[in-house]
Amino acid sequence: MFASRQFWAAIVVVVLLAALPLWLSSYLLGVLTIGYYFGVFSMAWDLLFGFAGEVNFGPTFLTGLGAYAAGLLNAQGVDLPLCLLAGAGAAVIGGLALALPALRLSGPYFGLVTLVAVLLLQQCIIIFAGVTGGEIGLTMNDILSIDADTNYWIALGFMTVSGIILFGLSRSAVGLILQASGQDAVEAAALGFNITKHKLAAFGISAFFSGLAGAMMVFYLGTASVGIVVDIAIGVQVIIAAILGGRRTILGPAVGAVLLILAGEALRPLGQLSTFVVSAVALIVILFLPGGLLGRVLRPRGRA
Amino acid sequence: MLTVQILIDGFAISALYGLGAVGFTLMFGVSGVLNLAHGGIMVVSAVTAWVVAGEYGAGSYLGALAGVVAGIVTSFATYFLVVRPIQRSRAVPDVEKEVFVLTGTLLWGIMLQEAVAYFYTDNPKTVRPLIEGVTVLGGVRTPTNEYLIAAICWLTIGLLWLLVNRTKAGKALLAASINPRGLTLLGFELSRIYLLVWAIYGVLAGVAGVLLATFLGTSSAQAGQLTASAFSIVVLGGLGSVSGSLLAAYIVGYLETCTAYLVSPTIRSMPVLILLVLVVYLRPQGLLGRR
Amino acid sequence: MSNNAPLLEVSGLSKRFGGLVAARDIGFQIAPGEILGLIGPNGSGKSTVMKLILGVVRPDAGQVRVDGTDVAGWPTHRIAQQGVGIVFQHSRPLHRQTVLENILLALLPDSFLRLRAGRVALDRARAIAESVGLSHVLGRRPGTLPFADLRRMELAKAIARDPKVVLIDEPFAGLTMGEVESFAELIRGFRAQGRAVLLVDHNVKSVSALVDRVFAMYLGERIAEGTAAEVVQDPQVREVYLGGGMTTATRPPVAATGRKPLLQVNDLSVLYGKAQALDRVSLRVGEGEFVSVVGLNGAGKTTLFSAISGLVPYQQGSISWQEGGATVPLAGRSPASIARGGIVQCPETRELFGDMTVRENLDLAAQHLPPGEGAKQLAWLYELFPKLQARERQTAKTMSGGEQQMLAIARALMMKPRLLILDEPTLGLAPVIIEQISRALEVLRNTTPITVLLGEQNVTFALPHADRVYVLEHGRMIWEGPPGRFAAEAGEGYL
Repeated sequence: MFASRQFWAAIVVVVLLAALPLWLSSYLLGVLTIGYYFGVFSMAWDLLFGFAGEVNFGPTFLTGLGAYAAGLLNAQGVDLPLCLLAGAGAAVIGGLALALPALRLSGPYFGLVTLVAVLLLQQCIIIFAGVTGGEIGLTMNDILSIDADTNYWIALGFMTVSGIILFGLSRSAVGLILQASGQDAVEAAALGFNITKHKLAAFGISAFFSGLAGAMMVFYLGTASVGIVVDIAIGVQVIIAAILGGRRTILGPAVGAVLLILAGEALRPLGQLSTFVVSAVALIVILFLPGGLLGRVLRPRGRA
Repeated sequence: MLTVQILIDGFAISALYGLGAVGFTLMFGVSGVLNLAHGGIMVVSAVTAWVVAGEYGAGSYLGALAGVVAGIVTSFATYFLVVRPIQRSRAVPDVEKEVFVLTGTLLWGIMLQEAVAYFYTDNPKTVRPLIEGVTVLGGVRTPTNEYLIAAICWLTIGLLWLLVNRTKAGKALLAASINPRGLTLLGFELSRIYLLVWAIYGVLAGVAGVLLATFLGTSSAQAGQLTASAFSIVVLGGLGSVSGSLLAAYIVGYLETCTAYLVSPTIRSMPVLILLVLVVYLRPQGLLGRR
Repeated sequence: MSNNAPLLEVSGLSKRFGGLVAARDIGFQIAPGEILGLIGPNGSGKSTVMKLILGVVRPDAGQVRVDGTDVAGWPTHRIAQQGVGIVFQHSRPLHRQTVLENILLALLPDSFLRLRAGRVALDRARAIAESVGLSHVLGRRPGTLPFADLRRMELAKAIARDPKVVLIDEPFAGLTMGEVESFAELIRGFRAQGRAVLLVDHNVKSVSALVDRVFAMYLGERIAEGTAAEVVQDPQVREVYLGGGMTTATRPPVAATGRKPLLQVNDLSVLYGKAQALDRVSLRVGEGEFVSVVGLNGAGKTTLFSAISGLVPYQQGSISWQEGGATVPLAGRSPASIARGGIVQCPETRELFGDMTVRENLDLAAQHLPPGEGAKQLAWLYELFPKLQARERQTAKTMSGGEQQMLAIARALMMKPRLLILDEPTLGLAPVIIEQISRALEVLRNTTPITVLLGEQNVTFALPHADRVYVLEHGRMIWEGPPGRFAAEAGEGYL
């Protein structure tokens, strides 16, 4: 993997991105910062869908758990790094809870469970509004940084590290086994692989990065609210980003997420129509370029 | 008093849920499509009815008619612009078609919702009741319209039952849900069957959307919620089982109404969600589903 | 492997699916370096036995001992780790990885702590690839390989686990004659390495050159065991494959020559993915003729009929049909339009509407008839199959296999076909029922001008009715002639 052209291309891109604060306004940097966190959401989703073959319609269940666990602890005066860890941990527990039905259910049933999980989380947050801030949201005691450049670099660094780990994992021996079990569970088991164990691991890893990203994002924003980290619409955006960028490539979804957030911002003058336009573009990509915008480029050596 | 109130309100809401879910499950049973634009289509019908009835002053009846027509048109648009292109695409591998149809209809639903919001805002809209006045039953005053809605729902479901069980086209539809290959061998073009089912689906979603608008009012922001509740009811009852969907609609309707009246309206959907998770874990085929 | 204790020892293995007995009290042993053929026609339960051994399906009773350890009821991955490998007939390789990576996958330990396959594993993957003849395509993707190489890759994956017991499902399906030989050589290699090999196939013929012993199954039970030659001579096996034990009226000879061809199939080739299912098959059916295509399960009969009915695309050749006094090509027409045009198929799988009644099934088939015709046709069919009238209001799925077959045939006849295609109507049915169906066919050909194309494995059933017989083997037509000459010219090598 280190010898591949893609790897060097990615290095160049990251270096260029890291230099962006020299030119861009702090407003644009802020948009990109959000984009990078979304990039991690999408990459984590892709590990589950593209490799383990599990369609999770509620990625925000995991990000939301991470964000709120971290936020609630922070409100109790716990240090920020510990909160981040706790957020990731809460998401992993949630991820394993999701893995249980995933191992028993197929197709639409599992998809529904993931959707319901999001709705339940949303209801819980609203019911316990006294602690969680309900619809209004939860204000953090700490934030990552007050400097836009620093925040930008933290997010970029986080996405880069997550990307390297998730991409490396997808190309590793484990990635092979995961793909095999996602594609044909019986055949993978006949090769001696314990599907349950590997799928649990995939859920755990995906949840870890989703939760950590969710926690970091709320510490960047300074608030956690349903509309930002839990709402189904946010989950839909994560999925759209992955499909737009090219599922099963890990890096594609990150690119798709950044593009999607940028597009949403660029289309802001359109007001309410902006969501319409973004959805329409995503639909067109699905219909005419099912491999995603970058699917062809990022597929290992292209399909012959 | 409260009991009677719950019984009446629950009945009407459940009938409406049932009507919405029946179309959804029929679609899945016959063509294998889970249409996540369901709520979007209902909202288009509802808002069309509101516009024609109110803005153009055409009255509730013409408005309702326009709403149903809008349901049919949107249903066909969903099929021809989104579902069929994905089903026929060579670039999408067969095993991924289901996920693509889900994602495609989801996006299409968002587009419908946003288009409605753009032209008519996402403020709640209520269509004037089809029938004015109040009926007193068991000491409870209920708008007569609520009874009418329950009646229309059951009438529509009854007509659907007659269509499926008593007409030639209906029989073919039923056969397609049991064994599409067998139907092909008997000389039936499945493509026509699919057209028929999308038409029926459009009528059902249209009627449900219009009635919803006259009952609780509607807003484009509700589209996702409507899809989710139809999906939940259908899974609860058993995918593809019409009677299961009706049973589930009543369970959900009464559970929500009871929670709203007896506990708190803010958590009205919570018990349903928990029930749904339990059923999916313990009996994934749903209450009346077969596997 | 020092002594000759069996590596695989199956005893008392049983499995029911609802009311269906898929396997009853199955027992056999395979010694190191021995190849056992597990044979049986479609639905005989051989696949179930394979799944039971592999743990994909849990047995209701019985033992599966792998090198002495009872693994019955274990999860599949542990059975695999215990030393059972399988070569699936339809496998789904990793399409985005190379051939080498696919083989490497099989060499990986079941652990998520080892992130990279080591040098040793890589070398071993290369060595295995070379041993099965894949060295020249290591860097290619499975999607670009010819079918035989895909099968080689599956063999390589099985070898990579170094299994004590190897199960191979239909080892030669889809391969050309030349490829069959090189595969047989690879499988003999397993024997030389002292592995126990179980070949699962439809019939003795395809595996006879390779196996040491054969275990034959039918309707979930053992019917014969012994060497290939012994099993082929076994009366029960002959009855299952060739039919027998029933009386059928031989058709009075009818001059078949000079008839107008109703259906003409020329040089038809069909590929399933990359597997060759039909290889330049030609067939002619004259108007009013009764033509039988005989061949063992897996020979390609169903594929041929599916291609005629438009259900399966074909890569080469043509199919033409007499319609409205002219010869028209069938290519490009939908299956439904072909059916409405008069070619009605009664498929092997019957494709009934299980939740609908007998009458509803029949009424659906009558929907394309002119008004009034349906009632007449229904009366005639009830006369032909009185049992169906008695069961008019029963749902199809609650009827016995024989009754379902009658309904399937009646439903096809309801459409007033000009050509009726019957695919394996006797499959899995008791002789009494087969006799009833045979009598119905007799009435049909004596009282109506119908043209019939029958596909059968059961020669005793297929021959008496036929004006002309084709023999299909391994995707090719190898013989054509009148039924009277079949025994002398083609009967010998049939089983």
